[in-house]
Amino acid sequence: MTLVILWLIQDLLTVFTGGGMQIPGLFMLGVVYRLLFSDNNNDDGNLWAIWSAFAGGILWDIRWIGIPGFFTLGYVVVVLIVIQVWGIIPPQGRVSGSSLLVFILLECSQLIPPMLPVLILGGNTGWGYFLMQQVYSLPAILLTMYIYLQKARDNQV
Amino acid sequence: MDNARNNTRELVHGLTALILALFLLGVSSGLGVMKSIVDIWGAVLFIPEYPAVVMREIYLSWRSWSRDKNILSSEVSRLQNENAYLRLELAKISGGKVFSDDKNSDMNTARVTLRAPMSWWSEIRIDRGSKDNITQGLPVFSRGYLIGRVSTVSTLSSWAELITSSSFMIPAVIEETRELGVVAGDGNGSVLLRYIPAGRGVRSGMKVSTAMIGEELPPGLPIGQIAGEFNIGNDGYTTYRIEPGADLSRFYTVNY
Repeated sequence: MTLVILWLIQDLLTVFTGGGMQIPGLFMLGVVYRLLFSDNNNDDGNLWAIWSAFAGGILWDIRWIGIPGFFTLGYVVVVLIVIQVWGIIPPQGRVSGSSLLVFILLECSQLIPPMLPVLILGGNTGWGYFLMQQVYSLPAILLTMYIYLQKARDNQV
Repeated sequence: MDNARNNTRELVHGLTALILALFLLGVSSGLGVMKSIVDIWGAVLFIPEYPAVVMREIYLSWRSWSRDKNILSSEVSRLQNENAYLRLELAKISGGKVFSDDKNSDMNTARVTLRAPMSWWSEIRIDRGSKDNITQGLPVFSRGYLIGRVSTVSTLSSWAELITSSSFMIPAVIEETRELGVVAGDGNGSVLLRYIPAGRGVRSGMKVSTAMIGEELPPGLPIGQIAGEFNIGNDGYTTYRIEPGADLSRFYTVNY
């Protein structure tokens, strides 16, 4: 339900700005945030994240791109990266000293999805576009990271 | 053991999702049903997005007011609509095909709701459909200049093919010389006027509008002006580049 709300907020913000500025990928921030707390030992593992990202990506593509596949691909790639990278870190090491890694994983969720269409299709979208997009996303990434670290420390205590 | 099994399952599901995404990417662009799906999803999201649309309109209105340009911009917009309408009326009087039975003196406005990157120069979706008397072939304007025509109509929305589309071809006339040619897009943002015999004194700045031949669009609809020579073919005909009167890179609403 949280992910649905985040998707809608992201959509509403995009409608509100009319495409005039890049909206942070709140939906993927939510997915990655939940993945960081996810326990891989339950019955379904992290399958919810893979298919949530897939569904969210398709709906985003249909709404804003017109052709399903671009953001779907990006979202699934991000989830797989997070699962693989985060899986390497032992649970004991996921709080202390993991700020940089959390930041990188959250950053991936904002950088990869919009970049894939450009890499696939080509075009003359410059680095300035991605730089501005990251600038807009940075507050959301830092806030998510702060919330994660706070909660992770509380859980550890 | 469970952990290893889950890792394998995640990998399998992840790769399945990746393959599905790539498959969708490969096949969906050629599926005609995609437009219907996009329209349906747009209609479903219309309700939850409505507050954002209203808020955006309020914000835009406030911004315009705060700059003390609101009255001026609406007056300019009204005059442009009136100008375009008068051109259409003139076209009707001069024998052109009457394409609209609407007796309202003002042209209607529609909001552009989708301009997909894959078909940026080919088509747009507008938030008016058959319930708003939109019909296939209806010309679409921006700032009083022709920018395309309606290609597909559904109840709540329509798709319009832009003059920059490579499949868009209409007969046109250079108003100063009365030379006839064909206006066609190249799919990459340029609009060309083809099949003008070489050496007819065509110069940059001459106005181009729709021609009387052909029944798809009425004559006299302004398109733009000659921007320069594009090339001269071996067959003795010259192609000219047209500078559209409308700004095709920046329009959020259209008139019809």
